[in-house]
Amino acid sequence: MSILKPILEVKNLKMYYNTRSGYVKAADDVSFVLNEGEAMGLVGESGCGKTTTSMAIMRLLAENAEIISGHIYFKGKDLLKLSEEEMNKVRWAGISMIFQAAMNSLNPVYRVGDQIIEAIVTHEPNVTFEEARERVASLYKLVGLDPKRMDNYPHEYSGGMKQRAVIAMSLSCNPDIIIADEPTTALDVIVQDMILKEMSRIQKKLNMSMIYISHDIAVIAEVAEKIGIMYAGKLVELSDSVTIFKKPAHPYTVGLMSSFPSIKGEKKELVTIPGEPPNLLNAPDSCRFAPRCPFATKECWEKEPPYEEIEPNHFLACFHPQNLRKQVSEYARG
Amino acid sequence: MIKYIGNRLAQILILLVIYVAVVFFLLHSMPGGIEAVLATNPNLTPAARESILKAFGLTQPLPVQFVLYLKNIFTFNLGISYSFYPTPVWTIIARRLPRTILLFTTATLIAFFVGFASGKSLAWKRGKTSEYVSTVVGVIAYTVFTPLLIFTLIWFFGSYLGIFPLNQFLNPDLWIRTNLNAQTIFLYLLLTISLIGLAMLASFAIAQKVSHRVKTRKIIFYISTAIAIALAVFWWAVSPVGIYGFDILWHMILPVMAVTIISYAGTMLVMRDSMLETIKEDFITTARAKGLPDKVVRDKHAARTAMLPVITNFVLSMGFVVSGGVITETLFSWPGMGMTLLDSVLAKDYPLASGALIFTGIFVLFAHLVIDIVYAFLDPRIRY
Amino acid sequence: MANTTEGMTASSEIFESPFKIKVKLMWRAFKENWRIFSESKIGMLGLWIVIIFAVAGFVVYPILASTIWKSTSLNAMVSYNPVTGYDFTIANNPAPPSLAHLLGTDPLGRDILAQLLYSTPREFALGIIAALITVFLGTLIGTVSAFYGGVVDTFFMRLADLVLLFPFIPFLIVISGMMQVNLLTLALIIGLLSGFGGITIILRSQAMIVKVKPFIESAKVSGASDPYIIVNHIIPNIMPLSFLYMMFNVTGAIFSEAVLSFFGLLNIRMSWGLMIYTADTAGYIVGTNIGTYWWLWLPPGMAITLICGAFYFIGRGLDEVVNPRLRRR
Repeated sequence: MSILKPILEVKNLKMYYNTRSGYVKAADDVSFVLNEGEAMGLVGESGCGKTTTSMAIMRLLAENAEIISGHIYFKGKDLLKLSEEEMNKVRWAGISMIFQAAMNSLNPVYRVGDQIIEAIVTHEPNVTFEEARERVASLYKLVGLDPKRMDNYPHEYSGGMKQRAVIAMSLSCNPDIIIADEPTTALDVIVQDMILKEMSRIQKKLNMSMIYISHDIAVIAEVAEKIGIMYAGKLVELSDSVTIFKKPAHPYTVGLMSSFPSIKGEKKELVTIPGEPPNLLNAPDSCRFAPRCPFATKECWEKEPPYEEIEPNHFLACFHPQNLRKQVSEYARG
Repeated sequence: MIKYIGNRLAQILILLVIYVAVVFFLLHSMPGGIEAVLATNPNLTPAARESILKAFGLTQPLPVQFVLYLKNIFTFNLGISYSFYPTPVWTIIARRLPRTILLFTTATLIAFFVGFASGKSLAWKRGKTSEYVSTVVGVIAYTVFTPLLIFTLIWFFGSYLGIFPLNQFLNPDLWIRTNLNAQTIFLYLLLTISLIGLAMLASFAIAQKVSHRVKTRKIIFYISTAIAIALAVFWWAVSPVGIYGFDILWHMILPVMAVTIISYAGTMLVMRDSMLETIKEDFITTARAKGLPDKVVRDKHAARTAMLPVITNFVLSMGFVVSGGVITETLFSWPGMGMTLLDSVLAKDYPLASGALIFTGIFVLFAHLVIDIVYAFLDPRIRY
Repeated sequence: MANTTEGMTASSEIFESPFKIKVKLMWRAFKENWRIFSESKIGMLGLWIVIIFAVAGFVVYPILASTIWKSTSLNAMVSYNPVTGYDFTIANNPAPPSLAHLLGTDPLGRDILAQLLYSTPREFALGIIAALITVFLGTLIGTVSAFYGGVVDTFFMRLADLVLLFPFIPFLIVISGMMQVNLLTLALIIGLLSGFGGITIILRSQAMIVKVKPFIESAKVSGASDPYIIVNHIIPNIMPLSFLYMMFNVTGAIFSEAVLSFFGLLNIRMSWGLMIYTADTAGYIVGTNIGTYWWLWLPPGMAITLICGAFYFIGRGLDEVVNPRLRRR
């Protein structure tokens, strides 16, 4: 077994949005470690804080976003303490990002190839224009695009092509980590499958670390070795994908795993989780999942469960961890 | 692209014909036309009146007159001016048109760049007070009553500070000693400025082709522009007609300032609003994620895309600027198209008035064409 | 029989008439929009300026004219008329501001402040009438264009393009130079000229957006006639935008009138632009006189600027009401 070396460590990140009506606790005390060459998935409903966390890592937050406390260590340096110029050096060359809805990630008035070259020459000023063009051409081949289309404008590409171009762009400066935020949500299923397989292949080939963000478990299942589950701004469970799928401990995770059908196996009734996520505006000091949790007790309503390692490489924030899937579905049906 | 321009030219030609038709029929349907003027003149005998009408072709049916008029326009025959009889209208217009073009183009270009730059920076630095103040100042500059602005400028610079001349476009005392034609000097000035403009465009294009680094391109562009301007200034300084050219330019400063202030505000307001919208776009976040420096994101990505609505708005505000031009020219006694229009209307000089109106319209049409081309150049999405 | 009548009376007491409900809904919408508008500092600034001017012109002036200023008019029985009122007590006109004449007098001995206030209602009338005509035309044409499409649509849009191309003020100059134009005629001309122009394009695109909304289709299915749908469904949804553009049109109308009367092209007795014209033709704005006789051109010029600016400010404030995207979080 290879020795895992951490490349990114998010430690107790607290990021709130300062709005007129108060603080919206978008990311509350999030901690995880990403190792070299590892593919991690971050799963959760809309508004649970996964995009916010990734934007915090890149320091691309909106103006009214305040980082209350926490650290983000990348290769030993705390990103939150860097100046804007220093951070600019880290962006893209150290950590790059593939945004949701890639169609809008490209500037419509410049050629696609030029936009990728722009990234390259910004971070590697010694590269000549021809060298940069060659690199773009090979990147295109890597993601399955025709290098001749480098000089087209974004509106001349199809949706899937734009997505591939954006992937190529994120690879252009050989980053250590790529954060892919819902990279395939806007695509149809067939293209989705193709792109996911490409990304997984590229990641393994280049031994890059990756963070996949999605609300779609099926997507994460295909690509991630490690999965973190986020709910209402908190990271509630983190473990390797096998554990998450076969032995989910947090009731929310259990609900998630039971709520999508599997083609193989017996026919089961789908379990849904009633209710809605809480309002993060001035969120209460209790377990945020308590209102929807079938196992909530008085303790859950009074204080927040601590985030701790219950087993090796299995982190959880819950007072009532579940271990067997069978138990839960029986209970839910009853 | 060529096809696009050709298309637009054809459209403009059609619009021009319609425009001339409107002007023609409008003027002829006005109560108090030339027939009325002649009719009320007690000194004219009916026979004399008849012959005058015949000479001016006014006895023919209206549609026939119109066709004749249209035909004449294409041969640059716009009739003979009543108030400057027997000078043909075209001569008068040809003489005055360049002056308007010079004033107008200079002011518009300056206004555009100033409005563009200030709108761009004001939008990027968010802050409640700066937004509020810039909106108020911008709107006031936009809606200020032009004569008020001009009087204030004249008073402040001309009377109080005493630096700039108060009106006209040349100093008669200076010119009286030579027998130089102001028109020729003026045309030379126009030529020089056009050459400088061409040089700038050429150097811009060359810079694009030669290098891909933004810094090198900027250096090439600025240096060649500086050289072109230096050469021009040098040529004028050593030539014997230098002081005359300079005199005209000196007189041009205040009018240009007036028209610039009027037009800059519109551009600034639209640019600022447009930037605020563009900033929310995803590709701006991508640009920042790529680690590009803040100014680069602002200028290369945000401003470039935000510029497009500004250019459209420019088209719409063209009429506004032209009218500002009319007022400015009249108040500064700058003998251009605007002043011609007003004076001819006051003097009931129909041929000259309609000629002036038509040319103002042509001017606006042409400006529309230029702006459309610039827009197509900037936005690759609409070229096809 | 008696029972049914009772029942019928009872039911009409339970249900409110549709008209009453409509009024209540409109009132609620109005209050909500007012709340949003009042948050915009720009809009409120504009509104305040307009209110001050309106009060000054409609309320303060008649009071002043019939009381304080009466004494300086020709006939002490009649209230002061700034058009004809000549102050005999001052020998040298135009006179600088003094206690008797807060803003001085013009070359014909008339009180400047009185002229200013006298013209205010007239300017308001001109601006609002012209803007109403423009908006009325624009809404009608825009809606009809969007609703019926086809030839009608193409025609009006091409027409609008054409009208947009014409330089507005030069046209007005020529028209008012050739014929006698008074305030009402001018309002009509401005209204007509602008009504076919850019505003139709904007309102038409808005009408297009409304046209494809499901509730229009359900109205059609329920058997509503075309005019009914246009008047009762489409137009109310465009009204906010129309109202917004009306503000900008008021600005334009007042500005145009001022320019034209400044050139002496209008056949009216008193307006702000005319005040500057009087001063100009009497030679008091030439050369260094500009600084000396400032009260002849500065007050009317400022009045025009302030009112035009104020309506534009209101327009920008309304922009936030009409365009929810522009609102701050």
